[in-house]
Amino acid sequence: MAAKNSIKGLSKKGIVLLDGAIGTELQKGGMPAGVCPEAWCLENPAVLQDIYRTYKKAGSHIVYAATFGANRCKLSQYGLKDVRTINRDLAMLAKNAVGKGCFVAGDIGPTGRFVAPFGDLPFEEAVEIFKEQIAGLLEGGVDLMVIETMLDIQEARAALLAVKETCDLFTLVTMTYEKDGRTLNGTDPVTALITLQSLGADAVGCNCSSGPEAMLGMVEAMKPYATVPLAAKPNAGMPRMEGGDTVFDMDAAAFGGWGKRLAAAGANLLGGCCGTTPAHIGALKAGVADAPSLPPCRTALSAVSSARGHRIFERGNPLQIVGERLNPTGKKALQQELLEGKMTLVRQLAREQEEMGVALLDVNVGVPGLDEVKAIGEVINLLAVTTGVPLMVDSSRAETIEAALRCYPGRALINSISGEKEKLARLLPLAAKYGAMFILLPLADGELPLTAERRREIVKDIYQKARTYGFTKEDIIVDGLVMTVASDPRAALETLKTVDWCANKFHCRTLLGLSNVSFGMPERQWVNAAFLAMGQVLGLNLAIANPGSAEMMNIKAAGDLLLQKDRDAAAYLARFSRFEVPGAKLPPPVAASPGDRVSQAIMEGNREDIAALVEEALAAGRSARALVDEFMTPAIVRVGDLFDKKVYFLPQLIAAAEVMKLGLSFLEPQLSAGSGIAAPKGTVILATVMGDIHDIGKNIVALMLRNHGYQVVDLGKNVPVETVVAAMKEHRPHVVGLSALMTTTMVKMQKVIELAAREGLQCPFLVGGAVVTGAYAASIGAAYARDGVEAVRVVDALIQAGERRESEK
Amino acid sequence: MFATVFFEHIILEVPRTRIYRRLGYRRGVTEITDKRAAEVEKYISEALNLIRLRGTGRRLPLQDKNEAQIVLGGGTGDEVLQSRRLSRFFGECQEAVLMGATAGHEIMAAIAEDTDGGHLTRGVVLDATASEMVDAALDWIMSYFARVLRRERKALTEKRFSAGYGDFQLENQQTMFRLLELERIEVQITETFLLVPEKSVTALAGVKGFD
Repeated sequence: MAAKNSIKGLSKKGIVLLDGAIGTELQKGGMPAGVCPEAWCLENPAVLQDIYRTYKKAGSHIVYAATFGANRCKLSQYGLKDVRTINRDLAMLAKNAVGKGCFVAGDIGPTGRFVAPFGDLPFEEAVEIFKEQIAGLLEGGVDLMVIETMLDIQEARAALLAVKETCDLFTLVTMTYEKDGRTLNGTDPVTALITLQSLGADAVGCNCSSGPEAMLGMVEAMKPYATVPLAAKPNAGMPRMEGGDTVFDMDAAAFGGWGKRLAAAGANLLGGCCGTTPAHIGALKAGVADAPSLPPCRTALSAVSSARGHRIFERGNPLQIVGERLNPTGKKALQQELLEGKMTLVRQLAREQEEMGVALLDVNVGVPGLDEVKAIGEVINLLAVTTGVPLMVDSSRAETIEAALRCYPGRALINSISGEKEKLARLLPLAAKYGAMFILLPLADGELPLTAERRREIVKDIYQKARTYGFTKEDIIVDGLVMTVASDPRAALETLKTVDWCANKFHCRTLLGLSNVSFGMPERQWVNAAFLAMGQVLGLNLAIANPGSAEMMNIKAAGDLLLQKDRDAAAYLARFSRFEVPGAKLPPPVAASPGDRVSQAIMEGNREDIAALVEEALAAGRSARALVDEFMTPAIVRVGDLFDKKVYFLPQLIAAAEVMKLGLSFLEPQLSAGSGIAAPKGTVILATVMGDIHDIGKNIVALMLRNHGYQVVDLGKNVPVETVVAAMKEHRPHVVGLSALMTTTMVKMQKVIELAAREGLQCPFLVGGAVVTGAYAASIGAAYARDGVEAVRVVDALIQAGERRESEK
Repeated sequence: MFATVFFEHIILEVPRTRIYRRLGYRRGVTEITDKRAAEVEKYISEALNLIRLRGTGRRLPLQDKNEAQIVLGGGTGDEVLQSRRLSRFFGECQEAVLMGATAGHEIMAAIAEDTDGGHLTRGVVLDATASEMVDAALDWIMSYFARVLRRERKALTEKRFSAGYGDFQLENQQTMFRLLELERIEVQITETFLLVPEKSVTALAGVKGFD
């Protein structure tokens, strides 16, 4: 605790200097490539200790023990098992080297495995792996812990929880971000900050991957939301390869020059990562000599996060909608899926609500007979990778909430904590441990308060108890307690009074579960929407609702606009603007004649209307045959031309072909009955050859050929050579088309051609597929087409050539 | 020496430009109505609901190399991969990164249903989306290894090499399949060395740098 206070005090006095790179310094000291750095340090302690002393002399207040890779997973790659001893000895080595006046941090790096749900390492196993390392570091006497170079927020959480469940040392967590400012899994710095500071990190920041310039932007982004000191440990510029080695270009003077700017942006702890040396730290010290250490801008932050996003509940923000549909109450399909352990519907409901613009997703797995603890873990893990929308964990059971909070890779919102004594005693410590926000539900034991006055008393009472766990008003959201007006006409007004008091007197955030208000009433959507608008005026922050309700979402958008919570009306205009895609154009004007409209439907791929349009054309006196010959076939030929010119792309070509097919199938009875049916232009056998299972291209060719009047015998995929030849004997085709995607299967085309020749079958072959070329086709005596449109032309040409040959005989 | 790393859920930016390009879209040339654009976007969105990107990756030392083959060590024994082009690709590299990724079974079932059941338009969009997502997953795995290697003053080659390309015969997919433990991410291999689900890929990249 003394060290913790000292370190906290240090960061208040001025910029705390960390060390620079250790690995490259060890290499300069003779460490060869390919060895275990931790083992080499223990075998060559003088080299490491000299590095520490040099960093201390350069100005480092804190040096990192050489334990970055000293976890079970990494050490086992070198056949080393004694994790505890290695960590202890390396920590002691550092302590002995720097003596007094410099702190030693236990350095905890990634395991090299991804933690669930992103990887195969179970979360609890990850926590245990880190605890094993931490035990050794504590024995070695480290003064603080540093969790660094984390690529994955879930692994950072596992390490931080391991520290918090083991000791009370000051803990700094730094993540590594890609060029796009996010981790590989998509976590941005502010999201990571919200997750880690709420979970108990004493300082948060970034290290490695980029130089100080890129890190400046990250620090600037985090500072307004930080409740803890911020750290930056950049590389000496961006790495580049030179003569087979990775080099960093930024010299010490230039690096040191960034110190002042990083401090001005709000960094409180500064050091160096890859490519930095004691000289860089010395320059950094000089650079920040007169730079003040800016304290955190706030002591608490009303915000939640997921692995890939966050929501900050600031006053003046637009109303936020919490999607209510991931709740099995009254939803049989969802209940059944959860009971069967299926997740398709959960994923679908999450994605749909995200697309509808919800700010949070309420998640409830309360189904009778379901193992809730197991189910919530599975659902949370699925949602963590499915959506970037933060979650509201909704359960009446403490064990369910705990299971969710432990595995959720973000800062969750608990729904809810009421004044019931037993639950309060169980849930407040849980919320505090995991740093969750919670919805304060103004209920007391055996009491459903009907008046706003009584609700206020309960809110104050719960909040008083929450404060003893360190909660502030920023951490709670009061539920106004929505009751139905059908049974109590005063209900809505009492709820609105509660919202008013919370928002404008008590100064905390508020939430309403909207739909209860209209229970038992007809046309409920209007009651809900009006209630929402009234809440908006009073300062309501969140509403649990169905985002699929257009009335409600439209009222929300209008309310935000009217209350000046929608800057430049951007959200309102976006909501009511037409869907726009770059390059998208208005459809052409509606064609004049019924036949033209059929043609237009094919050109546009209008699947929905083709049957009605064909019927209309027939009713107008067109014969089926004439419709096909004069309108439909020219339309599909035109589509092929446009595809060739790339004016149409594949979905347009296929949609048109499918509409043509639908139209033809609709006309088939008339064509047959009226002897308007034309004889097929020819018969074509199609097959994807033996060993190949990729047949989408062959299916496209089949569709195109049928639309152009060919009879197609489709043998499918993975078709043996003998089967193709047998089909040739049976159907006597005009052309055989073969497809293959792989070089290994392509050779089967030649086998088919050879066997057919041996059997005396005379027939042209057409081949195609991703790896097939015109030259290869020629080499095996076949014609070639690169796509479905060309295949029709080639088949036309092959048949015409055959007919010419016949006529010349 | 290094164990296989398993990526159970790879999360990445949807490579929309690549998907549209694969479908033949050419900026400034292709003309698309609002309705068709919305439909394609809907199918891409549906594809994303069905795709589960998983992957594996593994570092192996380059034990030996001549102009016709490379020999990887560190597995159960030396693994020989014969290909002159692959050998040239590895140049001065001392190590290889093997990687594999899959879009999963659910998307393949949907593609099969669409192409067999008369909704080929949706099928081709699902197919293109799955192909590009799997390719992007390999990019993602390469980013991961590039980051890990940078701390060792090493770098990954920018390009990667896959079985079936040039003289690197598809038969080598069997070795890749085994070394990458692809069964653990529910990928199988056929007798003709094709990966199932169909939208599954493997590749190798080289590691160069500090030695």
